[in-house]
Amino acid sequence: MPRNVERLGTAAFRIGYIAIFVVMLLPLGIVVATSFSASGNLQFPPQALSVQWYSAFFADVVWLRAFDNSLVAGIGTTVVATFMGITAAFGLEAHRGRFGSILTPIVILPLLIPPVILGVTLLVYFSRLGLRSSYLSIILAHSLWATPLVFFVMQSVFQRFDWQLRDAGMDLGANPIRVFVHVILPNVKSGILVSALLAFIISLQEFVMALFLSNYQTQTIPVLAWNSLRQSLTPIVSVVSTFLILVSVVGLLVAALATNIEFVAKRLS
Amino acid sequence: MSVDPRTTVLDRLWSPFEGQSGSRRSLLLMSPLILFELLVFVVPFLLLVRISFSEQSQGLPYAEGTFTIASYVQVLQSELLQGIIAYSFKLGIIATLLTVVLAVFYAYATWRASGVQKSALLFSVVLPLLTTLVIKTYVWVPLLAPNGTANSLLLAVSLVQAPLQMVPNTFGVVIGQVYIVFPYAMLAIYSVLTTVEWELVEAARDLGASRTRSFFAVVLPEIMPGITVATVISFAWSVGAYSAPALLGAGSDRPFALEVQEQMLVNFNWPIATALSTVMLVLMFVSILVIYAVLGRFGGDVANAT
Repeated sequence: MPRNVERLGTAAFRIGYIAIFVVMLLPLGIVVATSFSASGNLQFPPQALSVQWYSAFFADVVWLRAFDNSLVAGIGTTVVATFMGITAAFGLEAHRGRFGSILTPIVILPLLIPPVILGVTLLVYFSRLGLRSSYLSIILAHSLWATPLVFFVMQSVFQRFDWQLRDAGMDLGANPIRVFVHVILPNVKSGILVSALLAFIISLQEFVMALFLSNYQTQTIPVLAWNSLRQSLTPIVSVVSTFLILVSVVGLLVAALATNIEFVAKRLS
Repeated sequence: MSVDPRTTVLDRLWSPFEGQSGSRRSLLLMSPLILFELLVFVVPFLLLVRISFSEQSQGLPYAEGTFTIASYVQVLQSELLQGIIAYSFKLGIIATLLTVVLAVFYAYATWRASGVQKSALLFSVVLPLLTTLVIKTYVWVPLLAPNGTANSLLLAVSLVQAPLQMVPNTFGVVIGQVYIVFPYAMLAIYSVLTTVEWELVEAARDLGASRTRSFFAVVLPEIMPGITVATVISFAWSVGAYSAPALLGAGSDRPFALEVQEQMLVNFNWPIATALSTVMLVLMFVSILVIYAVLGRFGGDVANAT
């Protein structure tokens, strides 16, 4: 009898997590499926298949401009966030100053504030500075979210680094920047790759702050997707969604190969 | 001996730092980020608070150089805005409870899995986490609509006689919001779980504890810090939810994020938008302190009892 109860429990446990697994991934699969729909309605499963919405995407200058805008914001965010995240994590780990204890909470805080409030706050601020709707405002806003991730990835990478190697380099007479480039960098480059990828993906996918901070000229792909969705559910949104999902899948696979998925997963929390 | 040109550049880069102490150097390295947080986070919030005390203006977003608490009085007295604040918190509490319970379960399953299975379970949360909110929200429309996938399935197996109204509805908003915050909550709990030793659970079971009992007595107290973080994240983001209520909710159920967006971008009434944001930030901050106190005590008590 207890045997049976236990077996029932195991079965329920398994059904439970398989159900969650399916619910987590199925919606993304559905988005990809609806992008190949032949009709103008968003329905799943699609009645007939076609690639007409893909040709529609590549023929539409507004979508293509949004694509360029996303690229500019993404690359800018990657550069800004990676630079600040790496230097700060290195400064914290290599020297253990007393500023570390204040820095960490301040860096985390933007992640806890609802994006709408951040959007309002930054819109007010950047309007005051005359930077309203500029690429720079979007890049700085996205860096607010991307930098903490870079910072935490690099912090744990530096923690695992064998600092005796640095000391050995210093003893041999190399200056710290030289030691950084020749001794530390080769050991942490996969961490840098992972954090740069995450920073790019965060910027590419973020939309609430970008909604507040961009205009018709500078809107990114998620913002344009959102604005067109509010008018009608068109499969062209599924086409761009498919591209966005694809970028995340590829980025994630590269990151997982450079380190492993467990490492990436834990840094995201 | 030939000199690598790169190293001379590196030597020159170093010269300004020479002769400075370790903690000064550390501060220098951290200064870009500190400066950034000051200029793009701290100062903007001070400006937000300042504008919330400005007078409302007809032609302009706000009247510069004025000082009044009128917008706060309006936010706190308006029944409409009180309803909006209450709805935000209701949504936050429901979504948080559902998310955290599911996240504990899924994190535990992932912790117990190994090899490819474990990677697959992690992948299933990391990929949605790295997908734009827009997709995570709108995909529920064709799924939950009266003629959508879920209703077709339910009708096909005769579980329901007529299509269920799931969107636009608070039901749809909660589903969408849980889907959005679940990956963050799950990973917060999972990272703490990986520090727990499975041997502890085995020992409890050897001593006769059932599987359920060993979970509640041994695992749960250990992962309380992760659960606290998961609760705070889920709560903060669900109270501040924007995309799910906008796309999946009925017009009558408005959380504050939609109201703020409208006041800000449609009505150009910045004092009201910023005052409402400030009030919500204060309320959320107090709630988060309460969550920490309650969950911290709960975790502490259980830890002492075992």
